[in-house]
Amino acid sequence: MVELLTVLLNVKDFFEDPSFLIGIPFVALGALGVLIALTPVELRWPQPAPAQPEYEILDHVEGDHPDAREYIKIGVVLAVITAVEVAVYYLDIADGALLAILLTLSAAKFVLVVLWFMHLKFDNRLLSIAFGSGMALVTALLIVVLSTLGAGLV
Amino acid sequence: MWLFLASETLFFGGLIGTYLLYRDASVAPPCATDCTFDGVTYQGLYDIPFTSVSAFVLLMSSVTMVLALAAIQRNDRRGLQIWLAATALLGITFLAGQAFEFTEFYHEGLALNTNLFGTTFFVLTGFHGAHVSVGVLILLALWIMARRGRITNENALNVELAGLYWHFVDIVWIVIFTLVYLIQ
Repeated sequence: MVELLTVLLNVKDFFEDPSFLIGIPFVALGALGVLIALTPVELRWPQPAPAQPEYEILDHVEGDHPDAREYIKIGVVLAVITAVEVAVYYLDIADGALLAILLTLSAAKFVLVVLWFMHLKFDNRLLSIAFGSGMALVTALLIVVLSTLGAGLV
Repeated sequence: MWLFLASETLFFGGLIGTYLLYRDASVAPPCATDCTFDGVTYQGLYDIPFTSVSAFVLLMSSVTMVLALAAIQRNDRRGLQIWLAATALLGITFLAGQAFEFTEFYHEGLALNTNLFGTTFFVLTGFHGAHVSVGVLILLALWIMARRGRITNENALNVELAGLYWHFVDIVWIVIFTLVYLIQ
């Protein structure tokens, strides 16, 4: 216990050892979580109007969903992007450029499906925040792990 | 549902990261792409044209899924049944393709415990296949409910939630197809 206290109170060593620094963002995140948990401010969750049917709660908050014709148009765009991806794979392009092109095309497909087919573009912003948080965490995880442990994509 | 999907992104993110990390770390054949061990060159296992068709099938199943939702939103119950059945069939086609790919790889000498490529590849794509299987079961259950007239535009939220899960499974494959198969 005394040793633990000594380590915790020895701020100088803490900041001189780079391996400790990586913990700072996590400590900050944890502190933020505790603050949010203890805050007396009430979070504003979407409140459905009493007369609304259940289906309307998540839908039509920001606007109407597209119609079938629009979905088919997006489906055609997705098919074309996939065809371009496969075509690019067979072209003789430098590795770095190939990586950039494929990641861009893949991200475009991802965004189209999430915004239009999953209706995130039209639904309550709170849902975007929920999914966006997961995406931000996983992106940070992949960047940190792949860059520090040397999994070169190129 | 969105919080569940957010947690699923972390689950698949971990598996994709592990695959990328150990992609070229196998010390024994076979490999994803052409590789050489002890002076012997082994042909890569990936069949890009075949996987491209699988990716296309799953992508199109997202289109049929969203058309099922659009159908029930305008209270078209017949349309709902047709598009749900089409989505489930496309999902089953994708699973059949994955079963074929796994069998082919196994016959080429790749098992779960052969090398790091085998372990990370089968765990990642296997878990995705398991998610697709669960999705197909949900779709079939919805299709049976729709045939019995138990889904109307009043409770179309059930179709929307199933659709969210199905589209998520599709976007995971969009990422896997690019990061695992195309970028080598």
